[in-house]
Amino acid sequence: MGRFSWRRTDPHMLAGAYALDALDSADRARFERHLSGCPACRQETRGLREASALLAATSVTTPPDGLRDRVLAAAAHTRQNQPASSPPRPAWPRRRWGIAAACGVLAVALAFGGIAYNAQHQLHQMQARSHAIAAVLGAPDATMMTGRAASGTGRATVVMSHRARALVFTTAALPAPPSAHRYELWLMGPSGSRPVGMLPAAHGGTTPPMIVTGLRAGDQVAVTVEPASGSRQPTMPMIVTVALPS
Amino acid sequence: MTDNPSWSPDDRGHGRRAAPGQPGDDLGSLLTLVARGDDAAFAAVYTRVSGHVFGIARSVLRDPAHAEEVAQEVLLQIWRDAVRFDPSRGSAMAWVVMLAHRRAVDRVRAEQAATTREQRVAHPEVSYDVVAETVQARLDAERVRRCLGSLTQLQQESITLAYYRGCTYREVAVLLDVPVGTVKTRMRDGLIRLRDCLGVE
Repeated sequence: MGRFSWRRTDPHMLAGAYALDALDSADRARFERHLSGCPACRQETRGLREASALLAATSVTTPPDGLRDRVLAAAAHTRQNQPASSPPRPAWPRRRWGIAAACGVLAVALAFGGIAYNAQHQLHQMQARSHAIAAVLGAPDATMMTGRAASGTGRATVVMSHRARALVFTTAALPAPPSAHRYELWLMGPSGSRPVGMLPAAHGGTTPPMIVTGLRAGDQVAVTVEPASGSRQPTMPMIVTVALPS
Repeated sequence: MTDNPSWSPDDRGHGRRAAPGQPGDDLGSLLTLVARGDDAAFAAVYTRVSGHVFGIARSVLRDPAHAEEVAQEVLLQIWRDAVRFDPSRGSAMAWVVMLAHRRAVDRVRAEQAATTREQRVAHPEVSYDVVAETVQARLDAERVRRCLGSLTQLQQESITLAYYRGCTYREVAVLLDVPVGTVKTRMRDGLIRLRDCLGVE
């Protein structure tokens, strides 16, 4: 899609995505070129931008105490841009960020999962599942955690919402389980282990996301290798675990 | 500088005023003063917008330490670029929020490296209370929630995933398993409905 469909589709339709910053940088640049020659679009975009800006009202959060002093002190030493000058935007500081894009990671996992599930004509279940997953990812308190496999190969990613009392689980780059065996997902808590289900087969190295509900305090999620029919109790060792924030 | 009536209703709703009833008490006028190097005005702008800026960064980036860094960059950008705020293109708060949201989503998209559990432990999740600075801000949030609730499920999910999570419309299409064209339309329809419900022009 993208490049080829761009000219054929009505750029107006992208006004909403633009106002939500939901265009990637190439699409954004194209839309802005279109805007510069379309007063009606500028008018509409302006109204939609005002609406999207009000979405920020629901996430107002008091910043940590030290921020005010740091910002005011930095401003005192920072030269302001003048109207005529238009220096290029400063490059992002070259530092490594530990956090991954929850959306990017899960979109990739879902792309593989979605194709596989649709092929099985489980469209309705798939859509219900997508909505459940979207509810967790979109929850205001969604938090992402990653656990590395004990072997060093592969990892598991969890996006959890306390409010939704659910999490979304996916893995990447785990080695294939031994023949006649599969990976099984568990919730392990202070009062024992509860089986969640067998992990679906990986596509392109990524397992389709599973939605996990019924979380209890002190739970962690864990994956073990079990006979293909599943087990009632996990067989050690655990392949990968992710502790959940309480 | 005179208020453009189309943006003052929005502006009125955000945060506390520096000097109620006095010239310079609205955010747009404060930015004009900031553009002239007025550091007291900048401190007032900080009070008005820091909760919005930090809240957006926290929502999109998820990590309080990273959110704080992005918030600091955005707040300094407001100081540096106050002169670029153009009231004919929208309200002052919409400009500030756009700077914050863009920087947060650009950052989260640029960073595709995997998070490790160790790093999560190094930056433990701190639970910041969501404290609306004023009664007005709380009312705004309530109004937005009510209006969001009036959208269809697909409109609501598309807007929520894009705005609060920084997803592109293509990613939203994958997440919700609907065609990209549908997501584009739902984002636009949904925002138009939201705009009308919220009474912004």
